[in-house]
Amino acid sequence: MNNIEERLAEEKKNIDSITAPDDLEMRLRTALDRAPLRRTKKTVPAIWTAAAAIVLFIAVLGTNYPAFAYYGKQLFGFDAVISGTLQDLNDQGKGQPIEEKMTLDDGTELTINGLMTDANQLILFYTLFNPQGISEEASSSIFSPARITGFLTDSFVETGISQMNDEHTEVKGTYTFEPVSPFAKKLTLQFRQQLPGNQMKDSELTFAYDPNKAMQTEVKQHIRKTLEVDRGTINFQSITATPTMTIIKGYLSIDNFDRIRNAMDGIELIANGKPVAQVGSGSQSSYTGMKFDIRYDALPSDLESLELVIKEFVGYRKLDRHISLPSPADQPVLLEDKELWVKKVSATSRGIEITIATEQDVMLDGVSIEADGENIPLNTTLNQYDTKLPDGTILKERTLLFDTSVQPEQLIITGMHYMKPYNRNIEIPVD
Amino acid sequence: MRAVRQIKQAKKGNKEALLQLIMADKDAYYRLALTYMGNEHDAMDAMEEMIVLLYERIHQLRNEEAFGSWSKTILVNVCKALLRKRQRLVLVEDLSESAEDELDSISRSRTSDPYKTSDQQMHLQELLQQLNEPQKEAIQLKYLHDLDYAAIAGLTEVPVGTVKSRIFQGLKKLRELYGGEADE
Repeated sequence: MNNIEERLAEEKKNIDSITAPDDLEMRLRTALDRAPLRRTKKTVPAIWTAAAAIVLFIAVLGTNYPAFAYYGKQLFGFDAVISGTLQDLNDQGKGQPIEEKMTLDDGTELTINGLMTDANQLILFYTLFNPQGISEEASSSIFSPARITGFLTDSFVETGISQMNDEHTEVKGTYTFEPVSPFAKKLTLQFRQQLPGNQMKDSELTFAYDPNKAMQTEVKQHIRKTLEVDRGTINFQSITATPTMTIIKGYLSIDNFDRIRNAMDGIELIANGKPVAQVGSGSQSSYTGMKFDIRYDALPSDLESLELVIKEFVGYRKLDRHISLPSPADQPVLLEDKELWVKKVSATSRGIEITIATEQDVMLDGVSIEADGENIPLNTTLNQYDTKLPDGTILKERTLLFDTSVQPEQLIITGMHYMKPYNRNIEIPVD
Repeated sequence: MRAVRQIKQAKKGNKEALLQLIMADKDAYYRLALTYMGNEHDAMDAMEEMIVLLYERIHQLRNEEAFGSWSKTILVNVCKALLRKRQRLVLVEDLSESAEDELDSISRSRTSDPYKTSDQQMHLQELLQQLNEPQKEAIQLKYLHDLDYAAIAGLTEVPVGTVKSRIFQGLKKLRELYGGEADE
C-alpha cells in the first residue's frame, strides 16, 4: 500500500469516530416543526377522489355496516387494567379477539389479544410474557406503540395503561388509539423497541381486522351552537357518543384561553339529569383557529335528555385597583369577589419583589407598581407554588419582580383572568 | 423495504418519517456537514437548513432509492451556500482550530502517541490544501466519507469521468508532494 492512501485511511478512521451530537434529533425536529406545512397541488385531488369514494360507499352501505349482528367473545385477564364502562363492555363480549403473537428482540413474547373499536377510539389489549422476567423499566420500553395504520387509517396512540404480575414475568395492558377506518380489513401496529445501548428499533405487526365488529355509534349529531364569553366565543360543533366514550368537538376563538389551566373542567355534560364524568380535554391550534375536544364517559343506554352546561369558563374582568404598600400580610385585599394576599414586599439584588397569593383560577393582568411617582411595569413572575389556607383552600403563591430599587407606594392592577360562572345551557335534542 | 415506505410517507408530508430517515444515518450526515463547515455549530445549522429543504422538496423526488444521495447533495449544497454567504474559506488555520481540535481530542484519547497522530493529520490537511478545491472535495468524499464515484458525481454535479480524473490527478499531486518515500 502506498503512503498517501494509508494516511487517508487513518484520517477516515478518525472521522468515523465522530458521532452526531445528542441534541441533533431535537434540533432537527424543532427546525421541521417550524417549517410551514407543505401544500401540494397533487394531493388535493387525490383526497377529493377518496372523499368521493367514501361518500359513495356510505351512500351504498349506509349505516348498515356495523349493524350486522355480532356475538363477540370476552377478552380474559384484563380486569386489573380496565374498569367501569370498558369492563362492562368486555363482560358483554364486545371485544374482537386477535391473538396475534410475535417475539420481541429481547426474547419477550408479545401477544395482541384483541381490540375494541368504535367511532371514537380503538382500544388494543396486549400481553408481554417472558419466563426470564421483565424489568419494570423494560415493560414500557421494549414495546412502545406509536400508531396503527391501514386502509384509510393512520391513527396515533393516545393513552396506555398496564400492570405487571407478581412474578414479574407477564405484563397485561391496553393502549388507546385514534379511531380506525370502517373500511380497513387489515391493521398494522407500528411500535418501537428499545435495544441495549439506547438504540431504538421500529417494528410492526399486522393482523386482520373485522370492521363489522366495531361497536355502533349511539349518538352522532351536530350541535352548532356558539357561546359568547368575555374574551371571545366557544363554538360547539358536534357530539359523538359511542359505547366506550363521548366526544364533544368544536372551535375556540378566545384571547385568554391559555391564561387559566383546566378551563374545560367547568363544562358539564348532563344526561338524564345527571352529570357524565369528564375523562379529559384537549386543544390544538390550526390554521382554522383553535380546535378543542372534551371527552366524557359513555352515555347511559336509556338516554332521554342530553344537555351541555357551561357552569364556568375563562372570563376577564377590568379592574382599577391601587393597593397601598405595604399591605397587611394576614388580611386579603378584595378584587371584586376574589381575594388577593400581598405577603411580602422586599428589595433584592434583582429588584423589587412582591410575593402574592390568589385562588388557583386567578391570573392578574396589567400589573405595575408606583414608586417615587413613577410607574414601573411588571418585569416577570418568579416561582409558583401552592399554599393552603387554614380552612383548606389551596392558593397559588408567586413572586412578582419589578425592575427598580425604589420602595413602591402602590401596587396597581388593571384586570384579571379568572374562572367566571356563566351557567349557560345548550340542549342537545335526542331522537 | 421499511425505508422506502418511510420515504413515501415523507413525500406525503409526514415530518416524523422524514426525521427518522435522517436519524437512521445521522452520523454520516453529520460527518459530511462537519467536513465542509469545520465546526459543530455551523454543521448543526447546515443540517437544520437541510431538513427544512428536504421537507419542502421531497415530493419532487422521483426515485425513492435515490433518497440518500439526493439528500446528501442538498446537504452539500447548503454547506457550500453557507460558506459562500459567510465569505469564508475553510483554511488550514481554521481547521486546525476547530474540526482538527475535535479530531485531535478524539485521537488523543485513543492512541498512545497523540503528538504523532495530530501531527500526521495536520500534515494531511496541509497536503490537501495544496490541491485545488474540486480535487480536494472529491478526495475527501471518496476516502473520508466512503462515497462511490457515482455518488460523488451526483453530489458535486459533474460527470463520473470528471470525478475519477479529479481523484486521480489529486492523488498524483499528493504523492508528488509527499516526497520520495511515497514511491513503492
